[in-house]
Amino acid sequence: MSLQMTVPAVGESITEVTVAKWLVEDGDTVELDDVLCELESDKATFELVAEADGVITISPDAQEDAVLEIGALLCTIEEGEGAPKAAATSESAPAAAASEGPKATGEVLDMVVPTVGESISEVTIATWTKEDGDFVELDDLLCEIESDKATFELTAEAQGILRVIAQEGDTLEIGAPICKIEVMEGDAPAATSDAAPAAEASASAPTSSNSTYATGHASPAAAKILAEKGIDPATVKGTGVDGRITKEDAEKAQKTAAPKKEAKKSEAAAAPVAANPEDRVQRREKMTALRRTVSRRLVSVKNETAMLTTFNEVDMKPVMDLRKKYKEMFKDKHEIGLGFMSFFTKAVTVALQEWPAVNAYIDGNEIVYNDYADVSIAVSAPKGLVVPVIRNAESLSLAGIEKEVRRLALKARDNKLTIPEMEGGTFTITNGGVFGSMLSTPIINAPQSAILGMHNIVERPVAINGEVQIRPIMYVALSYDHRIIDGRESVSFLKRVKELLEDPIRLLLDV
Amino acid sequence: MTYDLTVIGSGPGGYIAAIRAAQLGMKVALIEKYNTLGGTCLNVGCIPSKALLDSSELYHQAVHRFAEHGLEAEAPKINFGKMISRKGEVVKQTTDGIAFLMKKNKIDVYHGFGSFVDKNTIKIEGEESKIINSQKTIIATGSKPVMLPFIEFDKKRVITSTEALELKEIPKHLIVIGGGVIGLELGSVYARLGAEVTVVEYADALIPTMDVSMGKEIQRVLKKEGFKFNLKTKVDSVKVEGEEVVVKATDKKGKEVEIKGDYCLVSIGRRPYTDKLNCEAIGVKLDDRGRVEVDEHLQTSVDGIYAIGDVVKGAMLAHKAEEEGVFVAEHINGQKPHINYKLIPGVVYTWPEVASVGYTEQELKESKRAYKSGSFPFRASGRARASMDIDGLVKVLSDKETDEILGMHIIGPRAADMISEGVVAMEYRASAEDISRMSHAHPTYSEAIKEACLAATGDRALNM
Repeated sequence: MSLQMTVPAVGESITEVTVAKWLVEDGDTVELDDVLCELESDKATFELVAEADGVITISPDAQEDAVLEIGALLCTIEEGEGAPKAAATSESAPAAAASEGPKATGEVLDMVVPTVGESISEVTIATWTKEDGDFVELDDLLCEIESDKATFELTAEAQGILRVIAQEGDTLEIGAPICKIEVMEGDAPAATSDAAPAAEASASAPTSSNSTYATGHASPAAAKILAEKGIDPATVKGTGVDGRITKEDAEKAQKTAAPKKEAKKSEAAAAPVAANPEDRVQRREKMTALRRTVSRRLVSVKNETAMLTTFNEVDMKPVMDLRKKYKEMFKDKHEIGLGFMSFFTKAVTVALQEWPAVNAYIDGNEIVYNDYADVSIAVSAPKGLVVPVIRNAESLSLAGIEKEVRRLALKARDNKLTIPEMEGGTFTITNGGVFGSMLSTPIINAPQSAILGMHNIVERPVAINGEVQIRPIMYVALSYDHRIIDGRESVSFLKRVKELLEDPIRLLLDV
Repeated sequence: MTYDLTVIGSGPGGYIAAIRAAQLGMKVALIEKYNTLGGTCLNVGCIPSKALLDSSELYHQAVHRFAEHGLEAEAPKINFGKMISRKGEVVKQTTDGIAFLMKKNKIDVYHGFGSFVDKNTIKIEGEESKIINSQKTIIATGSKPVMLPFIEFDKKRVITSTEALELKEIPKHLIVIGGGVIGLELGSVYARLGAEVTVVEYADALIPTMDVSMGKEIQRVLKKEGFKFNLKTKVDSVKVEGEEVVVKATDKKGKEVEIKGDYCLVSIGRRPYTDKLNCEAIGVKLDDRGRVEVDEHLQTSVDGIYAIGDVVKGAMLAHKAEEEGVFVAEHINGQKPHINYKLIPGVVYTWPEVASVGYTEQELKESKRAYKSGSFPFRASGRARASMDIDGLVKVLSDKETDEILGMHIIGPRAADMISEGVVAMEYRASAEDISRMSHAHPTYSEAIKEACLAATGDRALNM
């Protein structure tokens, strides 16, 4: 018995994952529930555990750093004794099937517009990546669908011949038919096989170029040129046979990057000492899925909201005094340190109740108000920024908040945060102060409407009752979406946070 | 004098590195301890052995094949002295060519023994001693034949490849210790000229680094030519007794064997040559096998000192050294070349020739890679029948799934020239079917490659 393990569905909006690390090697014997590999999505890292005992064969497509779609094959576990033998026979079986080519089963699968989100009722077909009559494999990308919120991809739910119903540009309601697949059994026709179905498939798919093991392989001269230009061959589109990268491709790749380099060169010419080229090594790394998502979302927030920032300063002396006085007692009782985070979170929740627009978000033509405060906290994790959520922070005690912060921060550090733990915040607090930031304008954590930026505490001379005194001051910033939060609300909100922090007794008295 | 680059050793690795560096605008010095340039390859290796191989092959043809071709004449008489002096002429022309190339590229050549004073200072001891300074240095000092203590090495009767190219007479019975490339090539020379040749090899196959079917086939062919083989046989002593050499060995059954001949060629391998270079004193580390340790840029443990060719790890082949010479010259000029070591072909100039690139069948089996194999015998090639070169075969190994060519192994006429097709194909990661869909001129030996690829693609060779 061999068990195929595929990329599990990990969340609604996640369509692909990156294989971060294999913890076992090809051919290893694994036991049920052994951790096999770490998968990374744009939201979180999770572990894949063995679903059976046996010998593992890692799929060649699932090497580290490979990006795989949900449902793609990760590995095969050969169960029970005498595994290698069984592996051999199971290998030869599909090969035999391949030589016969795919066979029609007579079944026709209807594919309809999937439910893509609560508020979305209709979508538009953006582009078809496959054509009518193409042979498609399970999970092949068929077309891109646009809604007013996002673009998503429709993938084949079976392998077979594609029959397109909806054309590009058509607007369809949820549940409307998009295409049909005439389901076929057996392996996909191999590129090298000269069986009839292969010829048929390639004839009917003239636009899609053959992707093979050699796609993206750079010729010796091309590889040298790319290496010298510091261009990753993976980013170059090969025009040679089966997508091989030719010398010309490599030279062209160099040309697009040229203008910038020339500018730099003229500067370098003015420099008195020519730097040793060996000391000026460029390094290129693939962006992780998480980093790609972060970058996409940050830019879209800047483009799609009317974001601006208001500032204030907080005299931290009262909070610091309080902390100093009760630190030991607090720790003895609650078994956790009393930090600033709990004061800020608490103050924010109070202010949010008073200025509900700051705790709201826009959904289409509606504004959604939340009467609870789920506060997202920006934490820097090994793989980048993550934003876990403290649920119902308004009803938690200071100790409760501190405990929750510690729990989430530890999970973030170990890459153990789950997607539910990061979803659904209504407001975000970010603390650039831990890195020494004096002042910054944070970017809103969409779809939320506001974010509070904490900064470092610096002793500054301030005027109090006509006298100059040295006080520990923190600048605070509130970036907000002006579309739903007016200046009065944002400024008042931030001022309210300031008041509560400068006189923490007010938190107790609710004044 | 101060140089941008100094190359110690003028073999195919060293002189090529010097030329490439000069092309890139460097001021280059080349140091050579012998009077002629070109190193082992040009003076006492590849070139002279090929000269003698060709001479002896012509004689062999005349004696054994002319009649069948319908050429009736008395068998030619061998003027061995002339044969050796023609070889010398070929060597001289070739080494003179290198001297010309050095002039053309404005490379300063120093004849003398180079050694390090420190990382930027090199002492040259020749007719007069000199000290030169250099920003960077390439160690390209090559290798020397290995000798063993129980072998009485007198350079007259017990010889290495160097002496084998300068003999005064044709041996009556040449004993060859070591069934590798050098032993088989020089053994072939004298076998064709009428010597009895006995090969003693410790391993269980000839040319053991190549695909196992190559070793088997070459053994079969050479046996027909009169070679005697003692495989799995361990040499215990080699003694010179007057005009006779006595080799005592233990065969695979543990029995003692005594072989008597008039000459004994010791070709059991070569060792990296770094003697008196003063490497370790300036911090250039050697590994446990005496090779200069280098990183992926062929830089030694001392910044700015590089090493290439036989003196570093990898196959001891002239063309490997050349690639490394170009690599280092370009690398120190800020370029980023790459060498695909898996695609450096190995060749044996016996006749039929043996040539090989990529993975052997043993290696694929060991790595558990799923592969297909296709072969085509030259017996079935029209071109080969026309020239009576029907021994040998082409074997192509390709990935079972993708059909990518993983290895090509040829034993047959002009195999050493033909292997280049395999190298080109594999550099472009071609599939076996790719080659079988490319037109090959007819009639040629290279059609056998196409047919082997057809066989690997789906057992559909056309001419078998």
